[in-house]
Amino acid sequence: MNGWTGQILRVNLTAKTYKTETFSEEFARKWIGGRGFAVKILYDELAPGIDPLGPDNKFIVALGPIAGIPAPNTGKAVVAGKSPSTGGYGDGNLGTRVAEQLRKAGYDALVVEGRAAGPTMLYIEDGKVEFLPADAVWGKGTYETNDWIYARYGKGVGVLNIGQAGENLVRYAVVRSLEGRAGGRTGMGAVMGSKLLKAVVVKGTKPIPQADPAGMKKVGTDDLREVHKIDKEQGWSIQSTNGVLAWCNEVAALPVRNFRKTHHPDAWKVDGERLNDARIATYGCPNCTMRCGITIHDQEGRESELDYENIGLLGPNLEIFDLPAVGSLNYLCDDYGIDTMSGGCVLSFYADAIDRGAVAGSYGFGDVPGSKRLLGEIALRSTDIGNVLAEGSMRAARKFGRGSIDYAMQVKGLEVAAYNCKFIPGMALAFGVSPIGAHHKESWVITFELKQSVRESYGPEKAQKVIDLQRIRGGLFEYIVACRFPWIEVGWSLENYPKYFKLVSGLDWTLDDFWTISDRIYSMIKLFWLREYPQTDRKLDYPPAVWFDPANVDTEGPIAGKHLEYDKYDGLLQHYYDLRGYDRRGIPTKATLERLGVAEEGRAAEKFGKLS
Amino acid sequence: MKITVKLIGPFVQLFGFSEKELDVPAGTTADGLIDLVSIDRSRPKIVTRNGRAVVPDEALAEGDRVVISPIYSGG
Repeated sequence: MNGWTGQILRVNLTAKTYKTETFSEEFARKWIGGRGFAVKILYDELAPGIDPLGPDNKFIVALGPIAGIPAPNTGKAVVAGKSPSTGGYGDGNLGTRVAEQLRKAGYDALVVEGRAAGPTMLYIEDGKVEFLPADAVWGKGTYETNDWIYARYGKGVGVLNIGQAGENLVRYAVVRSLEGRAGGRTGMGAVMGSKLLKAVVVKGTKPIPQADPAGMKKVGTDDLREVHKIDKEQGWSIQSTNGVLAWCNEVAALPVRNFRKTHHPDAWKVDGERLNDARIATYGCPNCTMRCGITIHDQEGRESELDYENIGLLGPNLEIFDLPAVGSLNYLCDDYGIDTMSGGCVLSFYADAIDRGAVAGSYGFGDVPGSKRLLGEIALRSTDIGNVLAEGSMRAARKFGRGSIDYAMQVKGLEVAAYNCKFIPGMALAFGVSPIGAHHKESWVITFELKQSVRESYGPEKAQKVIDLQRIRGGLFEYIVACRFPWIEVGWSLENYPKYFKLVSGLDWTLDDFWTISDRIYSMIKLFWLREYPQTDRKLDYPPAVWFDPANVDTEGPIAGKHLEYDKYDGLLQHYYDLRGYDRRGIPTKATLERLGVAEEGRAAEKFGKLS
Repeated sequence: MKITVKLIGPFVQLFGFSEKELDVPAGTTADGLIDLVSIDRSRPKIVTRNGRAVVPDEALAEGDRVVISPIYSGG
């Protein structure tokens, strides 16, 4: 079967067994890979209601048909499982050599089940799996763990590992790779930790089946060169993702002080210009020619890799405007294996809750030493407050009470990324309807809202744009498994991806064919939610209440006096449901499921919750 | 009239300044300002005036802050 290895590696940590399973061409064409494979496998195999941090959950690494093949930015893997932060389907992607190595080992996906008796590292080489003790690095950070693995196997292997946050089941612990990459902010690091799985190491030596390997090699190599050339001409990677910080500050979209403010006069101190000036090195994922990872020296002199999301949420959001200080917080998150975005939002929520008297504490905005200390207490669950904050802002707010849930910056239990939607209705919708919680990877509409629509609009054009972007960002790039940056940041045509797909699989598909796959996968994620939360309603798709609060408006600047309005947001949400073919709860109708070829999966969900 | 121009992201390095105050003729439009700072009109960009998006022929006013940015896509 060209385009796929046709095999899944299934490992059981409890029994220390493994087996190779094959999948059909029909399965491959229907779900493609990555997020598609992951949601289908989890939906079919997980009983609703299982503990995401128990042995019944599964940890999946899933790749796509162009993953690992030399072509623009294909060194990515999807990690997935039932999310400890949301209780729904959860996933994330990260740059890793696992993408290439696992496919060369003969697999398009790895499914890890059960729970090991002790700290374990899986070593996978072609068709063989070893269950190795990882006691030597249990309790250690991700950098030391990575070095320990490299010392043993060399730097050519693919590595996924967790830090202390994953071991201690912090609900927003991530999976780490390549000393600078992280993924799975829905708590996939905690899923690994719950299985006592410290690391996965992969080495493969086989060719990846392709319809036209020579053609793919030539096109892929040429295109890598071309993307690099375009990036150099446009200069995107000079400031990389953090170029957007100064812009967010200008248009009142920057998270400042737990999203209370939308801009700050000191924001320039941590913007893209300053990051570029402080740069000591640049890193990228495998098969990347527009590398986004800019490192600086942090306050302790360590090398810390920064991008917009972690600067925004660990910097201005905490009212910290010092790059080395932000670098230190980022380094700690990376080493402990804490998601930098959720970590920043949890700390800002705690500072806000203290400010408003919801909880007593000595921490506050701008407190760098306190932030460092708290990250350690969270990762190790070593204090009462660390233990509470390790549960994430939604659960912490339930504990604190006093209305603090209104300013816990999360949707469905996952903290929002670094875009302040106090008056950006379409982006608020994008966070609201992201199927895994408030992740920015699904859809990002702010420039569209300002340039091609109007900021005040709650019209269907914004709902349609959110869907268009979900099909591409949360769809195509998550199941073909490649980085979206060449397309979104330097304008690399989407038409290239059906071209790559044809070269590897021989299948001549259009982008419209891919959008059907995207919609199918989104429907499956919603069915997963319905099974877990049969009483689900549209309120689950609402963004944080503070954005609707008239008492929280800016008093000056471009959006002075403005806030989101509930009735208008609800109307925008309904536009989204109507365009998607979802019912008033935000669940796909039977007719929609039929159209997308997942009626059978819908019938399985009806044992738990009604379909319309 | 005096206008403050702020460039974003790679435009800073490509066009040689980060922020500056310009004295421009009354009635200068957003597009006219783009020409004054020598940014290629065909380059995809988003222009804001005091934090709100502008159309190319919108006339600027004394004291405006105009921000010219590549079209970011949110990482």
